[in-house]
Amino acid sequence: MAAGRVVMSCGRRWRPRTAAVPMVVGVALLVVLTAGAKAARGDDALQATTDLVRSGDADLRAVGLERVRDGLRGATATRALADTLLPTLDAPRQRALVTALAERGDAAALPGILRLLDGSADEAVRAAALLAVATLGGPGDVPVLVRALAKGGAEEAAARRGLVIVGGAGAVDAIRTAARTAPPAVHTTLCDILASRRATAAAPDLVAAAVADDAGLRGAAMRALAQIGSSAEVPGMVRGVLRADAGRERDEAERALVAVCSTGRDRERAAVAFLDAFNSAPAAEQALLAGMLGRLGGPRSLALVEKLLADPARRSLGLEALSRWPDASVKDRLLELFAAAADDGERNLLLATLIRIAPLPNNTLDDAQKLELLRRTMDLCQRDEDRRRVLERANAIRTVEALRFVVPYLDQPPLAESACLSVVELAHHQKLRDDNKAEFTKALDRVLATTKEPELVERSQRYKEGRTWNRRAPGG
Amino acid sequence: MPFDRAGLDEALAALRAYDWGADAAALVPIDAAVVAAHGEATLRDDLERALVALLAPGSSRATKEYVCRRLALVGTGASVPALAALLDDPDHAHMARFALERIDGPEATAALRAALGTTHGDRRIGVISSLAGRGDAGSVPLLAGLLTAEAPLAVAAASGLGRLAIPAAAAALAAAPAQLPATVAAAISDARLACADALLAAGDRAAARQIFAAIATAVGDNPTSHRDRALRIAARRGSLACLDDTSPG
Repeated sequence: MAAGRVVMSCGRRWRPRTAAVPMVVGVALLVVLTAGAKAARGDDALQATTDLVRSGDADLRAVGLERVRDGLRGATATRALADTLLPTLDAPRQRALVTALAERGDAAALPGILRLLDGSADEAVRAAALLAVATLGGPGDVPVLVRALAKGGAEEAAARRGLVIVGGAGAVDAIRTAARTAPPAVHTTLCDILASRRATAAAPDLVAAAVADDAGLRGAAMRALAQIGSSAEVPGMVRGVLRADAGRERDEAERALVAVCSTGRDRERAAVAFLDAFNSAPAAEQALLAGMLGRLGGPRSLALVEKLLADPARRSLGLEALSRWPDASVKDRLLELFAAAADDGERNLLLATLIRIAPLPNNTLDDAQKLELLRRTMDLCQRDEDRRRVLERANAIRTVEALRFVVPYLDQPPLAESACLSVVELAHHQKLRDDNKAEFTKALDRVLATTKEPELVERSQRYKEGRTWNRRAPGG
Repeated sequence: MPFDRAGLDEALAALRAYDWGADAAALVPIDAAVVAAHGEATLRDDLERALVALLAPGSSRATKEYVCRRLALVGTGASVPALAALLDDPDHAHMARFALERIDGPEATAALRAALGTTHGDRRIGVISSLAGRGDAGSVPLLAGLLTAEAPLAVAAASGLGRLAIPAAAAALAAAPAQLPATVAAAISDARLACADALLAAGDRAAARQIFAAIATAVGDNPTSHRDRALRIAARRGSLACLDDTSPG
């Protein structure tokens, strides 16, 4: 408006000198002059912004970059910044300008940023350019980002982030296409990216990758399916579990499948799909899936487990499944089976299962029932190693009754260290300790008189003095 | 709650004896009357008259506060004298200004302007704030005259001119003497920036740019204090925005 006023005053100065000029010409002249003034002011703004972005003063650079982000609208200004200014800056300023151009959100900057990506020797600049390409670009820019995944360092991190955020209706399809021809390491990363994008359309590709030759890729595919898979992918995930190498990979694959069947968006159907897959699997595969059957838990799984237990040839599979059960709902069945166990192997497996499930936090049992189950389990133990495991498991029940259960074993030398550990672990919980201070003080004194473990001595002394103790990080 | 005329008389009687801690439920009919008074000139006049009467000496502070809050909604020029009488009262000045700021008409403005010469200390500062809050362009010369007063008053005057943010206010701020206490100078700078932003938003780029440029020049290229750095950034941002057709205006 101010410019308009200036120009109008120019027009008034003009009119007396061109009195013969018709009104229409005058108006046209006014329009031209207005546009000219605006263009000149735009040029001034662009030049001032450019000067500030180049400035050696960080405050002024920030002012210029803010204008890049939020002002100077129009593709012409964007191109001037990306095509003309950007190549002339040093690396830190290039990084800052590229980031500002990305936030500006005008795709007209893309060609200039892509040239910078190709030509810059600075890793941080290229990383910033990759993120800008992802922000401003679309499906057509996915190959550039995928190529950068192999470069490692900041570029890989930027490309990862970029592939998660790159927009456009075809972005997921472009990533899927790139994944099909990518080397396993890149394909592995793309699986993680598809999961982060919640790209359910890519689930069939992930199912295919779950049985790939590369173990890392298989693991990534199963991890991704754990996040975005549904009942439709369960049969494929079962193949992934079967394809997984025994040990850690299979354990993680089973966890992924359990996640879909227990927390997925259609978990009920997914669980049924798994049970169907189990039922229709050949015996050799059922043997591999028995643990998974147990991990899933629930009445339907239990019915299948009972069938296995009833078949002498497959009884061991049923027992293995029970040994993985996720809660204490099968405790009575475990006790029955223990009573009727045919050999020490079965007995030991069932005992270990009872010890594991008794204090699980997702139990339907209350603390008193958990402790009662542990007491019964203790009575079943024939070996000190089992008794020690019972004592060490007792500290998961954070009650003074658990302390009272453990304390008498301080007097039994073969079990004393395990009892000491549980007393100390229970004492770690300040409220429990403070609410039963006299009892804990007495128990900790006995630990101090019994244990040979320096850490337990230190912890006991600290807890007695009302101090806390920082648990060391795993591996620390 | 529907309005009930009989209930209003009882409520006004309760308000007369009201104090903090008493049951405010008895006053609810007055709130209903305030609502009903919109578009009911007679009721509004009656209600205003009854409320104003409660501003007389003898009412509790709680009663007067309640009255001021309701006069802010239904008050007219007729309320102004009673409210203006409270403007230098430490206990009631704040709530009187609360009402006067919101009452339409020249009487409230005139009362506030007049109070600039009769109030003291914090109450006077409050009056400056209320004039700015009303957007009273006519108070610019009064506020400009206070820029050389003692620091708290001058700071309030500068802030008030910044809130008015009209060309006359900007001109008054630009004309302030160069040698002023640091707190006053800082308030003037802030107020000038506020004026420049408002001018830019209104489309007066030339005037806005002139202010931003003047501030940038005053701060210089190598500011040492945090405040001066912030001023320089604000001035440069503003100057750039004045050049940029995509900024407001």
